[in-house]
Amino acid sequence: MKKRLSLMLVTLMAFGSILAACGGEEAASTDTTTPTETATDTTAPDETATEETGTDSESAIGLTEAEDIATGNDTALARTDSAIIGTVAPQGIFNPLFHQTSYDFYVDYLIFPSLTKVKTDGTYENDLADDIKISDDNKTYTFHIRDDANYSDGTPVKASDYLFTMKLYMDASYDGQSDPLSWNVVGADEYNKGTATDISGIKVIDDKTVEVTVSDYDAMTQVNLGGIAPLSEAYYGANYKQGEIASVKEFNTKPMGAGPYKLTKYAAGQEVDFEANENYYDGAPKIPKLIYKVTTDTTNLAMLQNGESDLDNITVTEDNVEELKAAGFLDVNILKNNGYGYVAMNNKNPMFADVKVRQALTYGLNRAEVVEAAYGPYAEVINIPQSDVSWAYTSENIDPYDYDIEKAKALLDEAGWVEGSDGIREKDGKKFEVNFSATADNPVVDALIPIMTQNYEELGVKLVVETLDFNAIMEKKDRGDYDMFFAAWGLTPDPDSTVYITDGAQNNSGYSNPKVDELYKEGKKELDLEKRKAIYAEAYQLINADAPEILMYQRTNMLGINGRLDGWDVSPYKDFPLSLHQVEIAQ
Amino acid sequence: MEQPSLNRTEQLQEQLKIVKAESPWRIAIRRFAKNRLALIGLIILFIMAIICAFGPLFSPYELNQTNIKDKNLAPNAQYWLGTDKLGRDVLLRVMLAGRISLTVGLVATAISVVIGATLGAVAGFYRRFADTIIMRIADIFLALPTLPILITLGAILSDLKIEPSKRIYFLMLIIGILGWVGLARLVRSQILTLREQEFMQATEALGLRDSRKIFRHLLPNTVPIIIVSATLGVAGAILTESALSFLGLGVVPPTPSWGNMINAANNLIDFRKRPWIWIPPGVCILVTVTAINLIGDGLRDALDPKMKSR
Amino acid sequence: MSQYIIRRLLQMIPTLIGISIIVFAISQLVPGDYITATQNPNLTAERIAQLRALYGLDLPPVQQYFVWAKNMLVGDLGQSLQHQMPVTKVINTYVWNSFIIAFFSFVFSWIIAAFVGVFSAQFQYSFFDKVVTLLVFLLMSLPSFFIGLLAIKYFALDMKLLPTGGMTTAGLNATGWAYIKDVGLHMFMPVVVMTTLSVGGLTRYFRTGMLEVIRQDYIRTARAKGLKERTVIFKHAFRNALLPAITLLGFELPGLFGGAMILERVFNWPGIGQIYLASLNLRDYPLMLGFTMFLAVLTLLGNLISDVLYGVADPRIRLK
Repeated sequence: MKKRLSLMLVTLMAFGSILAACGGEEAASTDTTTPTETATDTTAPDETATEETGTDSESAIGLTEAEDIATGNDTALARTDSAIIGTVAPQGIFNPLFHQTSYDFYVDYLIFPSLTKVKTDGTYENDLADDIKISDDNKTYTFHIRDDANYSDGTPVKASDYLFTMKLYMDASYDGQSDPLSWNVVGADEYNKGTATDISGIKVIDDKTVEVTVSDYDAMTQVNLGGIAPLSEAYYGANYKQGEIASVKEFNTKPMGAGPYKLTKYAAGQEVDFEANENYYDGAPKIPKLIYKVTTDTTNLAMLQNGESDLDNITVTEDNVEELKAAGFLDVNILKNNGYGYVAMNNKNPMFADVKVRQALTYGLNRAEVVEAAYGPYAEVINIPQSDVSWAYTSENIDPYDYDIEKAKALLDEAGWVEGSDGIREKDGKKFEVNFSATADNPVVDALIPIMTQNYEELGVKLVVETLDFNAIMEKKDRGDYDMFFAAWGLTPDPDSTVYITDGAQNNSGYSNPKVDELYKEGKKELDLEKRKAIYAEAYQLINADAPEILMYQRTNMLGINGRLDGWDVSPYKDFPLSLHQVEIAQ
Repeated sequence: MEQPSLNRTEQLQEQLKIVKAESPWRIAIRRFAKNRLALIGLIILFIMAIICAFGPLFSPYELNQTNIKDKNLAPNAQYWLGTDKLGRDVLLRVMLAGRISLTVGLVATAISVVIGATLGAVAGFYRRFADTIIMRIADIFLALPTLPILITLGAILSDLKIEPSKRIYFLMLIIGILGWVGLARLVRSQILTLREQEFMQATEALGLRDSRKIFRHLLPNTVPIIIVSATLGVAGAILTESALSFLGLGVVPPTPSWGNMINAANNLIDFRKRPWIWIPPGVCILVTVTAINLIGDGLRDALDPKMKSR
Repeated sequence: MSQYIIRRLLQMIPTLIGISIIVFAISQLVPGDYITATQNPNLTAERIAQLRALYGLDLPPVQQYFVWAKNMLVGDLGQSLQHQMPVTKVINTYVWNSFIIAFFSFVFSWIIAAFVGVFSAQFQYSFFDKVVTLLVFLLMSLPSFFIGLLAIKYFALDMKLLPTGGMTTAGLNATGWAYIKDVGLHMFMPVVVMTTLSVGGLTRYFRTGMLEVIRQDYIRTARAKGLKERTVIFKHAFRNALLPAITLLGFELPGLFGGAMILERVFNWPGIGQIYLASLNLRDYPLMLGFTMFLAVLTLLGNLISDVLYGVADPRIRLK
């Protein structure tokens, strides 16, 4: 018993990183990549990189190419017709309607193409659709599916499959992670409630053309509608009845789609094997066989080094970067992560209601030191809740909140918190004592706690720290029973979000600013990119000044890729599987 | 089963009288003091405790002090045991960690031994109803999923706003309470057979009270197994502590413990490149476990009623 | 005896009901549910409500319990939220992978512990005994992931004798003997490490048990001349020494199916331990509860078996 108990408990340690990943750290393991996240805006920017400021830390990020792929690389070079991709275990839900983790998504990318797909710069292009027409009132979308698009069983992809797939999404028993009723498709509610057997807003014009009408549009409408990957009605729909989607799930481990690869074997927790789909409309993929092998972060780096795998996501640490580069035959691609870490302050707590207090706590924390300690050059302090590779990013009129203890002290004095006899500030007889909850075993938290404790002590603020299970922190948050906690958000390519909207579903800090609410609403409705840029810039400036939370850092992800594989096209927005079909094995 | 002859009953009474003549505890102390290895164990443990308690007072470094410039340094004149990834002095952290880990290991084990031995002995001695109740409770304890319970407890302590630095006491209690079942079943199994042996018939004949039978005559016979269980338990508790910290039950970083120091070196690179991060806490646990075991062996020899000759 | 077994089996019913209530209550007390654990940034409040209703999380706890308990009676443990398939199927997919390494390490560790324990006791305080003792303590002082890493570093990375992890060679698609050989090669390291870890504690118990026997032996030899009935005591003493082993044996039954969370992770073994842990972290309650109840049944059975075996080892033990 003793043995079992301690084993179970110590496991938590090993699992700490995953615990954190469950949302604390950008939801790496539970990244719910619904169609919303896959495609981006139509009217794309063409000058994303105009504001690059070539600082020193910038140089650590980006691609470092392999020096010599022939030396010490025999194991991998021996695989002349296949590539092994290391990945965290998928859950075996190979269906874009139901998948919940990025790792299932990695599989689905290869099997289920959607009407539109994302490009490296975060813009999008046609994929399965070769023509998209939008009516003048932005409420009717006509998609034409490529004439040469066939499923891997040889049958053509039809417009009616799109309708079928939409029916599945709108079904009352659909329990996947997408929110299809929010797409405002005409007739969706009726289908969902069972009062109609068809979705009136979706018309199949001919075999390859489908027309979708929405009751209301916003910037996300085309993203949502174009993000659908049609499922073959003949294959998936055999036993489907309205209101009973269970029969569709039975195909979760036997997926069949129109993508570049077809699944040949799935061994749960071990590997997923693929074979090139000869029928693929964009030309047969250049690597005949593909294997997704399950790896863990204890050994995935070693497996890349000794050629057991060709590609893997490696945790970014200075050690790991150094090791990968030292191998010589590996490409090392360090990409900005779509997400950011922050320290939430309970804005509804009178203590943090005063903007000066929130600003003081931001100025008074040496964020640069925390980030440097946790990630070295591979993460950056941020000051707005947006990735600096996004088109919505701005640095104009943004206060960088550089560490300034004197300014922080002055702000607290102004706010009426004056130092007491014991060095702790007080106001109206109340001591400035703050409870801070964080998930443990996170590189940032390890560095944050000692530095924050020390910084705030100097400021005259007593920090009481506890480490807690991630869900326990989230529950405290939901109840509003907290002072401060550390967490992280994942970012969708579109800046639309509910994190800073009054009572928004994701608003963790209780922040409320009517002007910000209005701007977010306006930004969502606006379709012109330049106008949206201006709107979000203004919103970010307001949020920056209000300091509703202490924004901490944007970190990076790293792909280690064997140099023998060429032709990648990856970016923070375009995951590696999206270019796998064009990758070649160098001879 | 042959009835014990008069001759043997007398002999047994004789034995019991000898035990009566000199208090068993005095015999135990006398025997323990004669056991050189056991004394060495005690001295080692004592020295470790002293170093951990007072060593940090002489350190030029502080607990919350990080120094990124000096991170991951190998042992040198300035940092005798090197520094960790935040540039903190490993020596100071090992000493501070010892305070937590030694206390947790010993107290938690003591709790589970007391509960486990008592309940196991009661169940094995009375059998029937007491056994059914105690063992079914033990079954339930064994079957309950530990992690969800601990997560819940962590959240409750947090909601009750129990000061994080005080939660270590709850931690010891929890590890102790969760660990009793194994020992209880082990002790019970031995009592079940011991109670059937002749010397117990003698205690019956002498009209001894149940509590005396259990604690004076039955439990001392199970001491060896208790000691094995306890030595395994100390190491387990020390390593378990670090896991509980994640759930808001243990120490809060940056407070170190031997368990969380070892766990910080959880990848192949640290393992290969920076042995000074994991060797010191590992050695400390090893030395503690060894010392406790030496003491345990001494205790067993001292308390074991069957040992007459040494 | 058969009467005792029947009564114990009947006692299992209320015990299991008790466990199911407590376990379910805990799942209600644990902070968070599947929705909060996954933290999907795209869900609106309405969709969250819809999903909770679809998952059955919106019912009052008592009703949820009865739905769950009723389904369990007919062998339906519900649907795993994260795997989107029946819990029984999830368990069945992974539990056998855990079982094979647990089984082999169980067999090896008991055989080795018995031999080492006996030798170590026979030559107490000898060089052999001291080395074994120190080794056992060394293994106890390091967390298991650490010992796993050590093995990987030396045997897989430095010497390249064994694969770094996983259960099969990627893309090999072997069948028949080739498959068995491949799995055997992959399970070698996890089995060795698991054996090493569990053999330590077991050795201590066996050694102590045997020391008892040997001491009795001395007494017997010393008094052999006159008191032949001492052989009886010796017999009982030996059985006395066997009892702890039987107790530990009972604990092994759930252990065989429970999975080794840390080592499965370190060795990338597709076992149930990791899956269970993920179900807990993601608050996939149907899977977590189902697997807990599965282990609970095994735990009760294991303890029943050891109680029955006590009587076999020592007929004088009368459990009623």
